[in-house]
Amino acid sequence: MARYILRRSGYMLVTMIFVAVIGFLIIELPPGSYLEFEIARLRQLGGDMAPEQIRALEVRYGVHDPIYLKFWKWFSGFVRGDFGRSFEHRLPVSELLWQRLGFTVLISVLTMIFSWVVSIIVGVYSATHRYTIPDYAITVLQFIGLSVPNFLLALVLMVFAQQVLGMEVGGLFSGAYRNAPWSLAKFIDLLKHLWIPILVIGASGTAWLSRVMRGNLLDVLNMQYVQTARAKGLSERTVIWKHAVRNALHPLVMVLGMSLPGIISGETVVAIVLNMPTTGPLYFRALLQQDMYLAVTFLMFLAVLLLIGNLFADILLAWLDPRIRFE
Amino acid sequence: MAKQAGSSTTPEGLVVRVRDLHVYFFTDLGVSRALNGVSLDIPAGKVTGVVGESGCGKSVTALSIMRLVPHPGRITKGEILLYREREKQNGHSIVEEVNLTDLDPQGPVIRSIRGAELAMIFQEPMTSLNPSYTIGDQIMEAILLHQQCTRKEAEERAVDILARAGMPNPQTVVRRYPHELSGGMRQRAMIAMALSCTPSVLFADEPTTALDVTTEAQILDLMRELQAAMGMAIVFITHNLGVVAQMCDTVAVMYLGRVVEQAPVEPLFYDPQHPYTRALLRSIPHVGSRTKARLQPIRGVVPDPYATIEGCPFHPRCDYRKPGLCDVRVPATTQVGENHTVRCFLYTEQGEDNG
Amino acid sequence: MAEAETSIPIPEELVREPVSEVGQMSQWQLMRLRFSRNRLAMTGVIGLAVMYVIVFLGPFLAPNDYMYQNTDYIFGQPNSITFIGPDGRFSLRPYTYEISTVLDEQSFKFVFVENREKKVPIRFFVRGDPYTLFGFIKSDVHLFDVDRPQRFYLLGADELGRDMFARILMGGQVSMTIGLVGVALGIILGSIMGTASGYWGGLTDDIMQRIIELIMSFPTVPLWAALAAALPPISATFTALHRYFLITVILSLVGWTGLARQLRAKVMAYRQSDFVQAALAAGASDARIIFVHMLPNAASHIIVVAALAIPSMILGETALSFLGLGILPPLVSWGALLKSAQQVAVVVQHPWLMIPGVAVVITVLFFSFLGDGLRDAVDPYSI
Ligand SMILES: Nc1ncnc2c1ncn2[C@@H]1O[C@H](COP(=O)(O)OP(=O)(O)OP(=O)(O)O)[C@@H](O)[C@H]1O
Ligand SMILES: [Mg+2]
Repeated sequence: MARYILRRSGYMLVTMIFVAVIGFLIIELPPGSYLEFEIARLRQLGGDMAPEQIRALEVRYGVHDPIYLKFWKWFSGFVRGDFGRSFEHRLPVSELLWQRLGFTVLISVLTMIFSWVVSIIVGVYSATHRYTIPDYAITVLQFIGLSVPNFLLALVLMVFAQQVLGMEVGGLFSGAYRNAPWSLAKFIDLLKHLWIPILVIGASGTAWLSRVMRGNLLDVLNMQYVQTARAKGLSERTVIWKHAVRNALHPLVMVLGMSLPGIISGETVVAIVLNMPTTGPLYFRALLQQDMYLAVTFLMFLAVLLLIGNLFADILLAWLDPRIRFE
Repeated sequence: MAKQAGSSTTPEGLVVRVRDLHVYFFTDLGVSRALNGVSLDIPAGKVTGVVGESGCGKSVTALSIMRLVPHPGRITKGEILLYREREKQNGHSIVEEVNLTDLDPQGPVIRSIRGAELAMIFQEPMTSLNPSYTIGDQIMEAILLHQQCTRKEAEERAVDILARAGMPNPQTVVRRYPHELSGGMRQRAMIAMALSCTPSVLFADEPTTALDVTTEAQILDLMRELQAAMGMAIVFITHNLGVVAQMCDTVAVMYLGRVVEQAPVEPLFYDPQHPYTRALLRSIPHVGSRTKARLQPIRGVVPDPYATIEGCPFHPRCDYRKPGLCDVRVPATTQVGENHTVRCFLYTEQGEDNG
Repeated sequence: MAEAETSIPIPEELVREPVSEVGQMSQWQLMRLRFSRNRLAMTGVIGLAVMYVIVFLGPFLAPNDYMYQNTDYIFGQPNSITFIGPDGRFSLRPYTYEISTVLDEQSFKFVFVENREKKVPIRFFVRGDPYTLFGFIKSDVHLFDVDRPQRFYLLGADELGRDMFARILMGGQVSMTIGLVGVALGIILGSIMGTASGYWGGLTDDIMQRIIELIMSFPTVPLWAALAAALPPISATFTALHRYFLITVILSLVGWTGLARQLRAKVMAYRQSDFVQAALAAGASDARIIFVHMLPNAASHIIVVAALAIPSMILGETALSFLGLGILPPLVSWGALLKSAQQVAVVVQHPWLMIPGVAVVITVLFFSFLGDGLRDAVDPYSI
């Protein structure tokens, strides 16, 4: 098991290096980068400081260096925690990163737990009640969940919460707590705000996962060993929960890795509408402003999050499935 | 539902009697008539072979008796009677008749019968054990369900039954997962599981088809041996007439959802009555026959079960068919010898309408 | 066989084999039958057909040009329609009301009020804004319109006073095709990669799988957005149409991976199968095996995977354009239209700005019905 984890982690490191290459390419790709813009601005400003500042920038980002050196400068800095500068915010990227990333992780993890619990229950229910009216109703909901763009769902829910429930919507905190230090009251306030993002981000993933769960379970229910379990005289409940569901979970864990990108990219988009202090709004704004060091740092961290999520999924799978465990 | 029956009304020596059983599958593409009036007697303590071409309904028959017909299949007509022995306090037992068709297929009564009195093993040893649980867990589950005992006792019994099923190192095998065992060992584990509660009938649905010849012979020997020792009835479903000759006491021949002939093994092989049985026997090589006679395949193909055939289902392929009779009505079951019945107009004028 | 058999000879032609219709159908016929029996799938097909016709007839169906800005009707609400004529009786001709602008005393904003007394007839097949249909039919006849100076807004107007109905139909032309083009590109890429990977295996397969894993380790929308951000700005040499095509390329660059994986699995299975082994033994070339034996067999699966991929492409374009990183003016798409509806306050005041969202949902729903129906028809036992 330990060796398996070690080997998987090795793979992950290699993938990360390639992720970095792609990230670097994305920084280099745009025609007019913010860096050039900044240099031009400094040059126009003139003054005594300007030429030195320009030189410092050129050295730091390797403007005149060959491409591989430029990559190395950026990559080695990245590994050491120097992610470059956000030219728009006039701050090192690292100062903008951590808190927002923290909220992104929090919301993604909560969303995932939510969508797993709901998917399994709904999937089992609809697979065992096939061709009944609730199953059809669930199917309709699943189709809708998969068809509504998440930002639209966010808008609709916000309008609903504001107009019908009379809630203050948007953000993760009420005005009073936004800049307050952490306290129990602030935490409770956070929980009150979390349901909309979790519901919205989780909707399509849950719709999809519960469909996968239903399909898996239907497949497993066709397996011979389920007949064997029934032939023993076990009750249908035991047959389903002990013998079928356990095996239907394997493919679900395998697609866990696939459901993560959806959650993370959903989170980034929805955050704009919900006005949340997470990576999304800053990331897309940075892209629009061509503030590439900021944008790519976010993108890289999102990818790393995904890789870690996939690693967890694989370990979970190995733990769940004896056939993998003993390989 | 369960009525007590004196020996006068109980058919002597039967554990299960199936009468005019119809099972239809209501699929999207139409109704598949899997069983069209199966009548079958399963004598207690004997091995009954069930043979017939693929798709004729052998598996569905066994599953119906277990009340495990999968969706979208339903028993639409007929009855299945189980004669279970009930121990009375004063020592002698009485026989109780249970009509299985009346039971809720998921209810407590059938569940107390499944695994305890009716057990089943399947064709594919690779897929009939749950990959996520150890062999021991899966055997103990049945024991704990039907017998009053502690986990420890159950484990001892599991080891014990595995040993009886010829499993090498039963103490370690109980902690193994199915994927760690070979096909033959898995089938032994399945047999052990099925026999763990000493059932009165064991359905074995092509239990050796997926195994190599040597293993097959071992498993067959084992089954015969355990049958003799434990005295249960076995319903042995197979394509292999050689295996039937070796294993069975009586044989039922099925064709397209009906039993067309049932007889003890000797008369069936040496004096087959139904044209289909004869054709079937002609289509296999005979052990010891030195004649140069060519094997004859049965002409035509098995019609697909979505088709409806007027009259005797075999008549389109039959060399003896009587136009105006065989293609209009279904022959009734006729007694032609001791424990020998056949459904063919060569032996009776009596028929019944399609239904 | 102890006894002699009294065989009655029967002429061969009398031996008829009873078969039902179902038993005789070919694979494709069975698929067609299953598909056409699937009510949801048929709803999807018919619904989509109708929608395509509507959006491509858009300039004719909408009374106004989608770019026409009416500064007198900014954020104007949808006009109502009545079948009660000026004489107070039912009339077959629909009417709308005269619109007047009034200053709201409380909010100090201009609001548009319908004058219930003054009815304006809606006329059919009238001349109005000129347009070009399908790129070559020039006309100025519209299905319906009202007499000038009034203009008719079936679904209201946006922040520049442009006709939402016309814009939704125009946006549909982009939104409903971008998924198809993207998937088509994805199929080509995915088929090549997947087939190569599954057929040759070994190193080719390893490299391909790593590439796919790499692409899959990015969250989709942020990666799409990053790539879209790298596109040059709209100019005379790089038109909105160029951007449209490059956006489809970006969508398919990320989207081909799923198809490639599925196809790889299929091809690997086929490679082991008897018919391919037989062809190999007979000395058939790789190209022949792939194009004659494998791809036709995988065709139904390719179609299914493609159909199932369309919704995520449409949703991807919608999200990108909503963020301002997708389709840019002068082209419009449903996502680009929804960009005006980013704030709750705006949506509460002008709910008709959400209508493009309804169009997205319906389209994606229909495509999902279609994809699911195809899958069930091809492989009724899969999930
Ligand atoms: N789940 C099902 N859905 C639809 N039809 C079914 C189903 N299971 C069985 N059938 C029908 O019942 C008929 C009998 O099937 P059964 O499995 O009993 O055949 P069999 O005699 O056991 O064949 P084999 O020797 O191949 O195992 C088949 O022709 C099939 O069409
Ligand atoms: Mg069978």
